[in-house]
Amino acid sequence: MTDNSHPSVWAKGLVRRFGTKVAVDGVDLSIGRGEFYGLLGPNGAGKTTTIKMIVGLLRPTAGTAGINSLNTWRQPLEVKRKIGVLPEEFNLYERLTGAELLDFTSAIHRLPREAAVQRRRELLKLLDLEDAASDLVADYSRGMRKKLALAAAVIHAPPVLFLDEPFEGVDAVSARLIRGLLQQYTARGATIVFSSHVMDLVERLCTRIGIMVHGKLVVEATPAELRQQYGVASVEDAFLEVVGAGDMGEGLEWLGASSG
Amino acid sequence: MVGRLVWLKWRLLVNGVRADRQRAFGLPIVTIGVAAIGFWLAARYGKTAGEMPAKAAGDFTLWVMLLAWLTWTTLPVLLFPLDETLDPARFSLAPMSRSQLMAGLTAAGLVTPTIVVPVLVLATNVGVFSGPLTALMALLAGALILLHLIVGGQTFTALVSLVLRSRRGRDLAVVIVSSLGLLGFALQQTIATAIGEYGLAGAVDVYSLSSWWWALPPVAAQQAVVAAAAGSWGQAFLALAVSAGWLLAIISVWNRLLLRLVTTPESSPLRSNKRVRPTLADRPGWSTTLIVARKELLFYVRDPRLRMVWTGAVIFLGVIVATLLIGTTQLSDIQRAGWLPLIGPMVVIFIGLPVALNQFGWERNAASFLFALPVAPRTLLTGKNLAAGTALFAETLTLSIILAWVSGGWETLPMVPPLALTAIGCQLAIGNIVSVLAPLRLPDMGTDLFAQATEQGCLAITAQMASFFVIGLLMTPPAAAYVLVVEFGRNLNPVVVSVASLAYGAIIYSIGLWIGARVLRKRIPEMVAMVQTV
Repeated sequence: MTDNSHPSVWAKGLVRRFGTKVAVDGVDLSIGRGEFYGLLGPNGAGKTTTIKMIVGLLRPTAGTAGINSLNTWRQPLEVKRKIGVLPEEFNLYERLTGAELLDFTSAIHRLPREAAVQRRRELLKLLDLEDAASDLVADYSRGMRKKLALAAAVIHAPPVLFLDEPFEGVDAVSARLIRGLLQQYTARGATIVFSSHVMDLVERLCTRIGIMVHGKLVVEATPAELRQQYGVASVEDAFLEVVGAGDMGEGLEWLGASSG
Repeated sequence: MVGRLVWLKWRLLVNGVRADRQRAFGLPIVTIGVAAIGFWLAARYGKTAGEMPAKAAGDFTLWVMLLAWLTWTTLPVLLFPLDETLDPARFSLAPMSRSQLMAGLTAAGLVTPTIVVPVLVLATNVGVFSGPLTALMALLAGALILLHLIVGGQTFTALVSLVLRSRRGRDLAVVIVSSLGLLGFALQQTIATAIGEYGLAGAVDVYSLSSWWWALPPVAAQQAVVAAAAGSWGQAFLALAVSAGWLLAIISVWNRLLLRLVTTPESSPLRSNKRVRPTLADRPGWSTTLIVARKELLFYVRDPRLRMVWTGAVIFLGVIVATLLIGTTQLSDIQRAGWLPLIGPMVVIFIGLPVALNQFGWERNAASFLFALPVAPRTLLTGKNLAAGTALFAETLTLSIILAWVSGGWETLPMVPPLALTAIGCQLAIGNIVSVLAPLRLPDMGTDLFAQATEQGCLAITAQMASFFVIGLLMTPPAAAYVLVVEFGRNLNPVVVSVASLAYGAIIYSIGLWIGARVLRKRIPEMVAMVQTV
């Protein structure tokens, strides 16, 4: 049952320090039901750390987060039942087969056995993993692992999905399939929090974008608002404006000068 | 380039210590311990050789050099993770020739605390035989032997790394490692038996290597010293040349291995096998506890290192059989002991320690996958315990039946199941607590028997050792009761002892599970951080 009076995903004053380094610095988030939210930022901006704190894999130094009316740190099991997670480092069980991994996930989510089998078959077929269903995950390529991790994240049809770089290493055909699947998913009311460096995809998929720089959420807007606000033609240009991309005009003159 | 690799090895060593408090604490202790061992070995070596007649002393030093070479070459790879700090494959794109790489790796091989042991023994070797010219020869031979140690170790490591590059290779490596371990034990037993029979001086004379020196690389170098001490300078230089020739041959093999290592990508071939295996949903049992247990059992079979842990009982049996075949007197006495089947639970408990005390370390990087799922700590621990308990119980029964067959102690066999269940209960109780408080991070690759990551330092190991003693302490009351039954004319009713023992085990286990689950509930993010390698 979905609680419409609370945001689907929320965070209040999230802070995470690693020693003296502040990885996430007071992030507040409020993502509504059915939103396709893109969390952007340069490497080391704190996107993955933020997602990990929301899903309960990393304890915040300060602040809290949750899903709907649930608090991740007070009701971790209830929160985990409502989410699907595709982490950046998709660390799956290498010594299970693809089919076994999906069955394991379904059983932990307490799906009835028949539903688990049916969903596993459909997902493996959709993601073109049918032939590899009986192979160990250790034998999967990077793209296949990504697709399998995505299948494991959605098999219990969670109302909220966290995807960290879901298209990395995935071939063009599968990427298109995954895009379609995700768009259908949000159209039916699910919420997706999505992190990617592929700006074109972000612009096409996301209904709202948050940009993180040095652990802070500095901008939150729709793609159209972002383009308008910075007077640029694309989200990529706006992103570069926000993060302050370096000027490549000076220095490095030696690069390419060597005629070896 | 050689200097840069030496510098790199040093920097990695220093940075590793700076970055890890446990290592900063453990490395000085290890270095002091290794130095103490080195001084002790060198002193023993000098004293033993000095007290022997000249011929026996020569034979003795040949054996020492052979054993040192075998130990130095293989032991680090068998007992500790592969040293990946200077993994040759990482230099595949570096603009350096293979000869530069090999020279650099050899020189960098000296940058390790353990080098002090062979250096001290070889330094002692210079003084073992009298005469300045012999000492000079010993210096030359010592340098050659040191090169043999480093180059031999690097070649063996390169070979193992090559094997470990594929998943199938990693599976195979575990079998090779266990076989080498058994061979090592058989060699140790053979040597002990020979020394017991003939005395040290007699044994090195009976099994003299002096006619085989040419076939054994480090022995040839030491033969040069022995021959020089005997005044046979022609043979001394010949032996030195033969040893140098062996060194070149080994370098050539290393060169070929390196070529393959730096030009062959890590292979993970997709199997063409299209056989559809029955999956978890196709088999009975769909509760979370059972699914977790079945996942664990699948890993016991499929993960080469877990398989290695569970084949510990087989290795133990192999040791007993080897002992009986070789006829070591001390151990063959147990053949007639009627209580031998009761040893089964104790042996299996020891074998199961790496799993029971580190239940989450084996999750490795998949911990983040597991803990993102809504699985209750108590259910998770129960599932893991069910799997470990099943494997421990099955191994115990099998081992005890074989031990009953060996000893004829069939009448004690009915006491094995309750004692085994009690022991398993106590072990898992402590295991649950230790697993959540002090999990050990395990490397993804490696051949070490205990799958121990270097960065863990000795604090975690100390915690594990302490747990072993606590388990032993908890087992004292039931074990004492069983001893009274078996050894003191059945003064206690075995049925009463068995029931009481089971009740005791159940209580201890329940307490351990309760504490473990409570701690785990509060420590999931910390657990993920502690066991993940990326």
